[in-house]
Amino acid sequence: MAAEKSSKAARGTVQCDNSSFNLLKANDFVADTIRKHVKEKQVLLINVTSSAGSGKTTLMQETAKRLSSKIKMKVLVGDLETERDADRIRETGIEALQIVTGGICHLEAQMVWQAMEQISLEGTDLLFVENVGNLVCPSSFDLGEDYRVTLLASTEGDDKPKKYPKMFHTSDLMLVSKSDLLPYVPFSVEAAIQDAKDVNPDIEVMQISSTNGDGIDEWCDWLMEKVNEKKHREVIA
Amino acid sequence: MHEISLVRNIFRALDSEFDQEELAKLNQIDLKVGLLSNVEPILMQNAFEAVTQDENRFLETKLVVNVVPILIECELCGNVSEVRNYSFKCPNGHPTKNIIQGEELTIERVHFAD
Repeated sequence: MAAEKSSKAARGTVQCDNSSFNLLKANDFVADTIRKHVKEKQVLLINVTSSAGSGKTTLMQETAKRLSSKIKMKVLVGDLETERDADRIRETGIEALQIVTGGICHLEAQMVWQAMEQISLEGTDLLFVENVGNLVCPSSFDLGEDYRVTLLASTEGDDKPKKYPKMFHTSDLMLVSKSDLLPYVPFSVEAAIQDAKDVNPDIEVMQISSTNGDGIDEWCDWLMEKVNEKKHREVIA
Repeated sequence: MHEISLVRNIFRALDSEFDQEELAKLNQIDLKVGLLSNVEPILMQNAFEAVTQDENRFLETKLVVNVVPILIECELCGNVSEVRNYSFKCPNGHPTKNIIQGEELTIERVHFAD
């Protein structure tokens, strides 16, 4: 990356240029490598984020059940410890690889790139990266994804988009999950949407429940549309 | 917690841009941190202290974190305005994501002993 050392005499105050001294430079470099790789392989890459316990893994299971006869999907799943989420996803018959971060609260592009070297993307249409459950740190790390999808469970409260603005600001789609519990919790879908649109005018919103199937068809249609768009786009390009 | 990763990146960037003997004279690092970069200055300071002790480097170096506000430029009316309460609308109420400042996460300046 930075080949030559600064020729400036390191005395007094040195003004630094933005590109060499960007603290996310290394991550962004690897993210771009991932982006090029999945473009070449025509794989749609989705970064799935949320708080811990908002239903990411359950959504991966439901999505696998619905789409595995139509497309080939795989999941990389990040957690601080244990193989539990990957095991749960494998139960649905799809390939899943656990990334154990060992205490790090987010995935970085380098971790995803290393994990990608251990799975084959040949014939794969859709690769999910299920991030560590955390609405703060993962928002800063580009993983080379085509889309960032953030779950907001009805049980978490509708105030999260304003409390964790960066995550919702950088997401393409917000999924209001556990919608089957909406009648029992003080959660206003309208308020959550209004706040999400305030921090991100471009964000799309869907309401889903992996338990009763609400909105799962719409979610799967969205995914299929994006998978097809990506293939079509790469063919034209 | 991601502040630890960022502090290691500060060291990495400095190592690739300056010689070790120059870095031994480093007095102060000024970071420019946009409000949208998700960096909490106090956590950055704590992480800096932890990593300098862990790596036994830059123990005498001061870290200054300068937070800059988020500015947007409206595509419709050309207004440049500050984003308050993370509401991405220009003063005329047009929603926009055209950010011209606030995402920075860089080393702005470094100060060496003469």
